[in-house]
Amino acid sequence: MGKNAGPKALLQGRTKRRRWLTFIRMCRYGINNFSRNAWLTVAATAVMTITLLIMFMTLAARQVLVDTVDAIKDKLEMSIYVATDTPDEQAAVIKKALEKLPSVKSVTYISPEEARADFAEKSKNDMQTLDALNEATNKLPGSFRIKIVDINDPSELNHFVQTNETYKQNADPDRPPSFQGDRRTAIETIGKWVEFAERGGLVASVIFIIISALIVFNTIRMAIFNRKEEIQMMKLIGADRSFIRGPFVVEATMYGFIAALIATALGVGALYALQDRLDDWVTISHTVELATMYIGFILLAMILTGAAIGVISSLLATRKYLKI
Amino acid sequence: MILLDRVTKSYGRDGKPALNRISLHVEPKEFVIIVGTSGAGKSTLLKLLTREEKPTSGKIVVGGIDYDQLKDKHIPLLRRKIGVVFQDFKLLPQRTVYENIAFALEIAGMTNREIKNTVPKVIELVGLTGKEKHFPHQLSGGERQRVAIARAIVRQPKILIADEPTGNLDPKHSWDIVRLLEKINKYGTTVLLTTHNVEIVNKLKRRVITLDHGKITSDQAQGSYRQGK
Repeated sequence: MGKNAGPKALLQGRTKRRRWLTFIRMCRYGINNFSRNAWLTVAATAVMTITLLIMFMTLAARQVLVDTVDAIKDKLEMSIYVATDTPDEQAAVIKKALEKLPSVKSVTYISPEEARADFAEKSKNDMQTLDALNEATNKLPGSFRIKIVDINDPSELNHFVQTNETYKQNADPDRPPSFQGDRRTAIETIGKWVEFAERGGLVASVIFIIISALIVFNTIRMAIFNRKEEIQMMKLIGADRSFIRGPFVVEATMYGFIAALIATALGVGALYALQDRLDDWVTISHTVELATMYIGFILLAMILTGAAIGVISSLLATRKYLKI
Repeated sequence: MILLDRVTKSYGRDGKPALNRISLHVEPKEFVIIVGTSGAGKSTLLKLLTREEKPTSGKIVVGGIDYDQLKDKHIPLLRRKIGVVFQDFKLLPQRTVYENIAFALEIAGMTNREIKNTVPKVIELVGLTGKEKHFPHQLSGGERQRVAIARAIVRQPKILIADEPTGNLDPKHSWDIVRLLEKINKYGTTVLLTTHNVEIVNKLKRRVITLDHGKITSDQAQGSYRQGK
């Protein structure tokens, strides 16, 4: 039999590696598989579309939640009250001192006269109340409506009402600040719910995204499992691992690409459709604005996500069948 | 061309060996038929030659390549030097006759021009001219096996391993396939054929190696085979 050669003999007869040609062929096989396995293509693309749509809607829902929570926070004001006879100059001093506090976002002062006018405006259809208001002297207090950075932490404001001399001189003895006593409990409850909604939204988003990715991974794994004999055959006639994997990766990338286009169209369309119906309940308009403004970026992110899930899933799923 | 020296293959730790210290020498251009009952070790022998399995002990040299020196990354290259035909054809179902055959050349990195020149000649050789665009499910069993043979020989391997290629075919198509293998052998390819078909073995009058319980029980230059042996 002559002298035995080592593996070098195999390499001697090897055609010079044509990486580009091989790449084109892998792409062509991937596209062929995609177009010729109609049912598999439809099923895998549908699952991938649903996955990406769930991801998109989860993130959109989170954005709506954050905006709604911000809106609630914005509406939630702390109030402190001063006596009806507090001079405007004293009120201005208190307002200035409040505005200097780092935890305070804004302060609005409603003088007793403004409060009375406001009350009258609100009661304009109730003649009895209006008559009583006109005859009685104004007993309404002056009030400072304060928005603070963190509604769960009014400690600085609390310290202010206990230490600020100008306020203490003019404070309305019958009306404690809103962040003390029973009203404080109510504000705290709202604050805790807001915090829970924010954290819960984030956790739910992450869980949804992980579950969706696992569903797609499993679909692609099943699709490749159905073709394990094909992989076995390719191995036996001498195909490299990369040449066997390549078409599956291309195919899965195409699922991701097409699913991203469909999911983006459906997702953005759904936001537009829901805008009018949900606007009274939640703050959705900002999310719709964002989706419109960054539509190109969203599409790109969806395509990259879809392709990444496809590539990772197919690489992991084929690995099992590519052992020598 | 093929040398096996005291090759043993056992599955599992205490399993009975599927092949037990067999030694075998096949010359270039030989046509060798391997016979034996199910479980005799025929498939294991072929799997060792295509490096689907590694021997537990012993030495294998095929086409001058010592398998002991072979690394995993070289296995695809080795397989490109050996043509393999299976009982169940193992064609790519979503690809046409032409594409199935061309696939064997594409994985070897041949250019499109080379492929266009080579594939039609092989299709003609196996008698499938006019069926290039058919998919496997549109072909008869005999035609599918011809495609598998065309794919196996398109790279002009020095060795062709045919594992029960007539197992799924009627007598007429079986003989068509056997005649085709003889033709390929005549062009200079070493052929290793495993079969259960007594008539084919006895009429071919070629070298017959009989395996039984993992051992070679006979090796006849112009052998015959009796079922149940």
